Amino acid sequence: MDRDAFAGFYLRSAPALRSYLGRISGNAALADDLTQESYLRFLCSVPPQGDEVSCRRYLFRIATNLLRDHWRGDVPSSALEDVPEQLLAGTDHLGRVDSQVVLDPAMARMRPRERQLLWLAHAEGYSHREIAEITGLGATSIRLLLFRARRKIARLLRKQVAAERGRA
Amino acid sequence: MTFRGCPQETEIMCALKAGHWPGGCDRDLRTHVETCAGCRDMVLVTMTFQQARAEALGNLQTVSPELLWWRAQLRRRNAAAERISQPLTIAQIFAWLVSLLVAAAFLASQYRHGLRWASWWSEVADSRTFHSWLLASVGLERNILLLVAALGTLAVLSGVALYLAAERE
Repeated sequence: MDRDAFAGFYLRSAPALRSYLGRISGNAALADDLTQESYLRFLCSVPPQGDEVSCRRYLFRIATNLLRDHWRGDVPSSALEDVPEQLLAGTDHLGRVDSQVVLDPAMARMRPRERQLLWLAHAEGYSHREIAEITGLGATSIRLLLFRARRKIARLLRKQVAAERGRA
Repeated sequence: MTFRGCPQETEIMCALKAGHWPGGCDRDLRTHVETCAGCRDMVLVTMTFQQARAEALGNLQTVSPELLWWRAQLRRRNAAAERISQPLTIAQIFAWLVSLLVAAAFLASQYRHGLRWASWWSEVADSRTFHSWLLASVGLERNILLLVAALGTLAVLSGVALYLAAERE
């Protein structure tokens, strides 16, 4: 990938990657650092030869691995599922806007793995196979994990909406 | 818990991804969503996440791609320099080890055959001219000549190793 091609790819993909990392980590500064590091590693590696979609998926995989490494360094456990959500709950707000008033509290109560799956599936629109490629999870388990996570966050979102209406 | 996926899930997900929900979907599908808890959850979650993503993208500021490109170039150069220096360091360590081994072997042989440095040194010191010094030097033990030859070979081999390592990179 030459300089101009990278500039175009970066401008198209960086906001999505940054918001993914921000949403999963709940930490704006960390998301900025990991976004930059992801692109640096992407440039220093041999990206997949193919369309932009493959490169984007590869980039998300790098970012996911970096985030996992970061969590491994911060907490004694090495499994993403074992990281308590309180540790990773949003410590700051990433450009708070109206929809986030509802989504932020709900996301803060989700486990990191659940946030990751939900964001990749419902914000980025990745298929189960693509999510498996990015996260390293088994493709067959993603369907069930995602179903459970979706049911959980839907319940939390409805509660949050009801609470907001009650306040209003 | 048993997991049962709804058969309409894929169709609804495609409509949501394409932005066709709810206006671009037929009434049957909309009615289904009202009655199916799983699909209702999916619509709620997808629409909330899509909205959050759209808002986040509008608010984000990222560093310039030129800066990242430059930093990546720098990192690549550093990594290349590190890759080159690694075999050089190994060659240096190897050269030192061989030199030490040769020196140790020489000292051991000198110790076994008796130390005759003192007599040799006095001969060299007594010789006034270069010619006589050379003659005295020729009279050195075979071990010294071996040592010199070994060190010379080592220097040549190290040079070749360094050259090959640099050439490979």
